[in-house]
Amino acid sequence: MTLRWEVVATWLALLAAATAAWGVAAATLPLPDYYLPPPTAVLATLGDLIAKGILPTYVAESLRRILQAAVLGLAVGVPAGLLLGMSRRAAEFFYPLLNFFQSVSGIAWLPLMLVWFGFGERTILIAVNYTVLFPVIFNALLGVRSVPRLYVDALRTLGASRWRIARDVLVPGALPSIVTGMRLGLAYGWRALIAAEMLVGAHGLGFMIFNAQNFHLTARIMLGMGIIGVLWVVLDYFLLRPLEEATIARWGIVQR
Amino acid sequence: MNRLGAPLRGVLPFVALVAAWTLVTQTGLVSALFLPPPVDVARTAWELARDGSLWINILASLGRVLLGVAASVPLGVGLGVAVALNRRLAPVVEPIVSFFNALSGIAWLPLAITWFGLGWTSVTFIMFNTIFFLVFFNTLVGVRTVPRIFENAVRTMGGSRRHVIFQVLIPGALPSIVTGLRMSIGFGWRALIAAEMIATSTGLGFLIYNAANFHQSDTILVGILTIGLLWLTTDRLVLQPLERRTIERWGLVSTVEP
Amino acid sequence: MRLLRHRTVGFLLAVALLWGAWEAFIRLSAPGRIDPALAQALGRGPAVNVAVTLGFAPEDFHIRVFQTHGVVSGVRGTTVLLDRVREEDVQRIARYYWVRRIAAR
Repeated sequence: MTLRWEVVATWLALLAAATAAWGVAAATLPLPDYYLPPPTAVLATLGDLIAKGILPTYVAESLRRILQAAVLGLAVGVPAGLLLGMSRRAAEFFYPLLNFFQSVSGIAWLPLMLVWFGFGERTILIAVNYTVLFPVIFNALLGVRSVPRLYVDALRTLGASRWRIARDVLVPGALPSIVTGMRLGLAYGWRALIAAEMLVGAHGLGFMIFNAQNFHLTARIMLGMGIIGVLWVVLDYFLLRPLEEATIARWGIVQR
Repeated sequence: MNRLGAPLRGVLPFVALVAAWTLVTQTGLVSALFLPPPVDVARTAWELARDGSLWINILASLGRVLLGVAASVPLGVGLGVAVALNRRLAPVVEPIVSFFNALSGIAWLPLAITWFGLGWTSVTFIMFNTIFFLVFFNTLVGVRTVPRIFENAVRTMGGSRRHVIFQVLIPGALPSIVTGLRMSIGFGWRALIAAEMIATSTGLGFLIYNAANFHQSDTILVGILTIGLLWLTTDRLVLQPLERRTIERWGLVSTVEP
Repeated sequence: MRLLRHRTVGFLLAVALLWGAWEAFIRLSAPGRIDPALAQALGRGPAVNVAVTLGFAPEDFHIRVFQTHGVVSGVRGTTVLLDRVREEDVQRIARYYWVRRIAAR
């Protein structure tokens, strides 16, 4: 995504125009005040929430939860998926199960988790970690299965041990799929996190915007939404997409 | 033998899972309050099916998905093509749509409730947002990545703008559009379940969240199974084959993901 | 791999630096928020009753935060009255940048 001057300029102009239109609409439309707060109100809320220490805390909470889920997905999901993928029987056996469990997002499990653990941090963490974990395991498994047998056999004819084959062919070959799985898992997970925070109400950005709705603090809702979007774009642009591009650039030849 | 083997092999893991599940509940490893045995869940499923409440909720959820798709796909594709044709507007709109894409569907819920109150409208609004932006984005990118050579070829043969749009750009963008459709319905289905938990009193999301209030674990499990099965069948039987066939037929252009 | 060198590493470094600077700022400015009389009273007993002054009227969020450090016994305008606060908790409260002052009661 190269940033050319005309694109940036047009973009800024569009942004300015949209903000102006928003301001005008907020001032002129015959709606109750809380329906459409003007952009100045949203900016004021930003300053207000930072001064009160609310926003940094909530942002940190949400980020902590998603990053912890990412770490778990990486540390547990990737090895699990790789191991399952390496055995044809295991892969065939677990594929339908993983497919099914991936179809049921963590949020659908939330009510059951509420019955088990009540309204607390653990419920949120289980729902989010589950949501991130399954796409990672599934894609890691698919990644290993998709490595052409040609490469595995080639190494075997050269007398490589199972471990060498895994390390030099299967893992690199599965990497593009793994990274795609992480990206998908985190995309689902971030959304599940916001939903879980709304439902379980234990602080975090989802809780912030949901709670704000109860008090008709619409400027806070809009601010929260903006931050939720920006955080994901930042995470994706700076961490996930470079990782995906680098992995495909280096090992993607196996996928083609 | 092979044709019989494949579906059998697909069912075996679930049979094993149910067996393990029965074992865990029979031996009392987990109390029945937390994890009801499969027989209880089956019985509850039967009851819910018999008194119609299961079907009402399924129809409500599916109806919202269809409504969301019907409202957002034509608009998304139409706008996507229109913007893609304007070479100056396209690179500017892309990051904007990408941002709205990143703004997950459920994040719109508090605003939707502020504007529309609880109920159908809010939930459909969320479905619309989730599906529209992704389809818009994928259409935009899909049309833009159609190699100009095809467009020029049609033009050289005397094709009008309409020809270019309907016979080159849209078919060329179809793989991207269908991938976008599949992904967005995936996101949308998940957002729907969450939204139903919060904002309405019908639908599968509401069913399981409400059951949690009464600690009815068996109802929750029935709901979870239904949700999983519905998405699995929709994805495997409808969306994936559609995607595959679209790529097979018009897959000259590589599929793009946002 | 070179792409990684630019975008991601720069990003992570910036995050680490900012976070480090922030932690330093919090730790250094914390003692300044504790009222001198309270500072002397610390360590003399197991728990103290304090009045925490903020720059604004406290919201639910702040009450909940304070409840993890002691027993909230009242709110007077921009001040929250907190009972049975242990020494570590006083230090922790002092580290919140949005707290103006903690004084003994």
